[in-house]
Amino acid sequence: MSCVTLQDRAVAINPTRSCAPIGAMLANYGIHGAITINHGSQGCATYPRHQMARHFREPVEVATTSLTEKTTVYGGRGNLLTALKNIWERFHPTMIMVCSTCLSETIGDDIPGIIDEFKENNPDITIPIISVKTPSYIGTHTTGFDNFLTELANSMPERRKKKGETNGKINIIPGWVNPGDIRELKHIVREMGLHGLWLTDYSETLDGGYYEPRPHFARGGTTVEDLRSSSKSLATIALQRHIGGEAARVYERRHNVPAHILPMPIGLANTDAFVETLTEITDHTIPEALQVERARLLDALVDTHMFTTGLRVALYGDPDLIEGLTGLVAEMGMTPAYILTAAENRPWAERMVELTQELGVESEIIIKGDLHELHKRIKAKPVDLIIGHSKGKFISDAEKIPLVRVGFPVEDRFGYHRRSVVGYNGAISLVDEITNVVFERKATAVVSNTLLEIGVEGHTSIPFAYTNGNGKH
Amino acid sequence: MQFKCNETLPERGTHIALKVAGGGCQRGDGTSCGIVSNSATTPGDMTERGCTYAGCRGVVGGPVKDAIQLTHGPIGCAFFSWGYRPHLADTDFHMKYTFVSDMNETNIVFGGEKKLLQSIIEASREFPEAKAVFVYNTCSTALIGDDGRDVAKQAEAIIGKPVVFFECEGFKGVSQSMGHHVGNETIFRQLVGSAEPEGDFSRTINIVGDYNIKNDIRTFEYLFEAIGLKIITRFTGNVGVDELRIMHKAALNVIHCQRSATYIADMMHDKYGTPAINVTLWGIKHMSQALRDTAKFFGLEAEAEAVIERELAKIQPKIDYYRERLKGKTVFIYQGGPRTWHWIELLRELGMETMTAATTFGHEDDYEKIFDQLAEGAMMIDNPNVPEIEEILTKRRPDLFISGNKEKYLAYKLGVPFVNGHTYDTGPYAGFIGMVNFARDIDKALHAPIWGTLRNKARPAPAAHHSAHGFAHGFEEAD
Repeated sequence: MSCVTLQDRAVAINPTRSCAPIGAMLANYGIHGAITINHGSQGCATYPRHQMARHFREPVEVATTSLTEKTTVYGGRGNLLTALKNIWERFHPTMIMVCSTCLSETIGDDIPGIIDEFKENNPDITIPIISVKTPSYIGTHTTGFDNFLTELANSMPERRKKKGETNGKINIIPGWVNPGDIRELKHIVREMGLHGLWLTDYSETLDGGYYEPRPHFARGGTTVEDLRSSSKSLATIALQRHIGGEAARVYERRHNVPAHILPMPIGLANTDAFVETLTEITDHTIPEALQVERARLLDALVDTHMFTTGLRVALYGDPDLIEGLTGLVAEMGMTPAYILTAAENRPWAERMVELTQELGVESEIIIKGDLHELHKRIKAKPVDLIIGHSKGKFISDAEKIPLVRVGFPVEDRFGYHRRSVVGYNGAISLVDEITNVVFERKATAVVSNTLLEIGVEGHTSIPFAYTNGNGKH
Repeated sequence: MQFKCNETLPERGTHIALKVAGGGCQRGDGTSCGIVSNSATTPGDMTERGCTYAGCRGVVGGPVKDAIQLTHGPIGCAFFSWGYRPHLADTDFHMKYTFVSDMNETNIVFGGEKKLLQSIIEASREFPEAKAVFVYNTCSTALIGDDGRDVAKQAEAIIGKPVVFFECEGFKGVSQSMGHHVGNETIFRQLVGSAEPEGDFSRTINIVGDYNIKNDIRTFEYLFEAIGLKIITRFTGNVGVDELRIMHKAALNVIHCQRSATYIADMMHDKYGTPAINVTLWGIKHMSQALRDTAKFFGLEAEAEAVIERELAKIQPKIDYYRERLKGKTVFIYQGGPRTWHWIELLRELGMETMTAATTFGHEDDYEKIFDQLAEGAMMIDNPNVPEIEEILTKRRPDLFISGNKEKYLAYKLGVPFVNGHTYDTGPYAGFIGMVNFARDIDKALHAPIWGTLRNKARPAPAAHHSAHGFAHGFEEAD
């Protein structure tokens, strides 16, 4: 049976997580024409911008109130009022989101109060201005994303004018995913003949094209108009429990929109759960196209199982992502030997114990963990494969264990933000990539379309002819 | 000269100046000469500036290769400052690891001193080979009044190696420049002079203010050695704690970055009487001058001339080749500080002219050096923000933009060739041989076929249509 370990160290060494503001900034990028003002030190805006630019390879623009020593004594009200004015006058955004920081929270700035004051003094500015609490010392980067969505659900939707009024759409909250994932989810919803209202949609704003001339706002994103009508949707589906689960419940409580909170749709069973939920909400049946994709995923799992079954894998990252990945990894016959997340989230850990038991695999589930801890585990008892974001490359390099890049950030490779890991198609590409990485391990050589494990061939007088790459046997 | 984006921000005019015919200066607000710099950023102007922590942890302290880099604060500061700036060394502990006391809400309420002490001890236990622990303070831990200095002292007694506490909380100062100052001052106070090796240091120098971005130091260290000099301490690219401790033994400080590292040279001058010279280690003229000035101090002029002659013979044909391909092009340089004025001459040697020059955190002396070198008609701008950069790229339309990662994708979206001057697309760019790399990268950037493809084939954005799957425009196209 799987066990849960709480990492017991004060110092974090090579954390798998960053902090809350970047989550709110990312989510706000999914609203067409919306701009973020980060209320804090300049670094709190510049660091996340830089990080997002390295992952998405897009211009990422976030404003800061540039708090300094003086404002820590007298408060940041004046700076925030000025920033709101300047952002409005220079950009005419469709919406402004103000997120806080350690600094503004610790000095106790009343951001909603300052926003109210700004609105009172500028009655002609009618765009929504929302405030999201994102101090770095609470939770992780996912907390900022989740707080943003909860705030959105609380403050943006209009009340239904009459009972039963509907926009005919389904609110879908993808969570912390890549633009490619959102496009794959849209594909599924479209094939189902349904209309999604995406909370939020950065599939184009953070993976945009080259246009001449450059549009004033990046193309794409959910419109403020759609956010207003999100209370009239048929249902809300949150595809990550920790990002958007609470927002879905807000829609249910306040607007009577039924909430469906699902595991991240990675792998067969998790994608099935999403597709079946869509059929339950509506009376639509699963279309031929999705049936074919599903069958193709099964086919891919069959084709690859001789090369993946029995392999030990280390997974790290955000709770929902690795929960989804655990499903796929088990479907591929691999054992998620270590499952590590940064949050100290016991309910999640307990659910993971149940899930791994259901899946018939045995794992060590490490909470409040960091990559140094994972490295020590891997050194003590190695794995065949590591799955996670770019920061795991130091373990991969040191132990010569391949790293399959999934999650955020992936900054040392191109195009991962365009890929999808969700849906049947996302699972197929992950199955292919994982198998190919197994083929490229130094301990293996590919002979025609089969694999030869180097070093287990036993005593022989036959000279060894195959090596992978330049490795000498 | 008047930025359309600044119609509602007239104060930005004081940060912009044009070099007019006859060499005069015309400031954006028309009032006087010289531009306002190193002043508070206008809130919400979409600045590119970072914070004091970034200047200290990211720039000055971070490159020290055998120190545990420990952030006292919440997780984000440590995550974002980890491993992205390629200040390389001959070992990579400092690139691979980041440490953080990981303040949570309870720690913020009840204080983080105990957790910091525990963190230092644990980190030191995990990596006993580290030579010191560098602790960087952040906004929240400063605000709650943690006495990090005292904790550092206690920790030092327990772990038996230096624990250096940097008071570099993000809100200090107006830009990352303050962080450089804190970094210099703290390393000087706590490390420099704490070891006294025996030996002959009469022909030794320190390279002050080079961070070994993509191994820049390898392009010029051998040149100084060829003259007969030995570099004791590189402040702080490819440097170990033990080298910082004996930094005061050098006969001369050779200062490269004259914004982020003059502070330590000044302090060494005051305390130890160490003389210093300012140099630029980029481009033919400046690099040669740097070798000559350094050699002159030691009476090694003939050796310097021989080195310069030998090296130039190696690169000159390549430089000539690139000059032929690059001449006549105009450049917009936007760097953190001195690189902007370091590179005006280098680009001229490649036949290119800098028509717009900007810095993130330059001070008055940086802008004086920029203005002196600029050609008539060129513009300089302090702490430019995103709309200003976009306006420069579209209206002044430079042939090449040299800046950093954040600005790169804006340039690309506007179809402007770009070279990454902060972390280098390839590098290194310093010294004589680095200049060839720089020229090669500029040549690649300017002559890639994609720009022609964009000019001839790019299309306007398709009109957005209201669709449940795509997105709907709800706005009038501004501008």
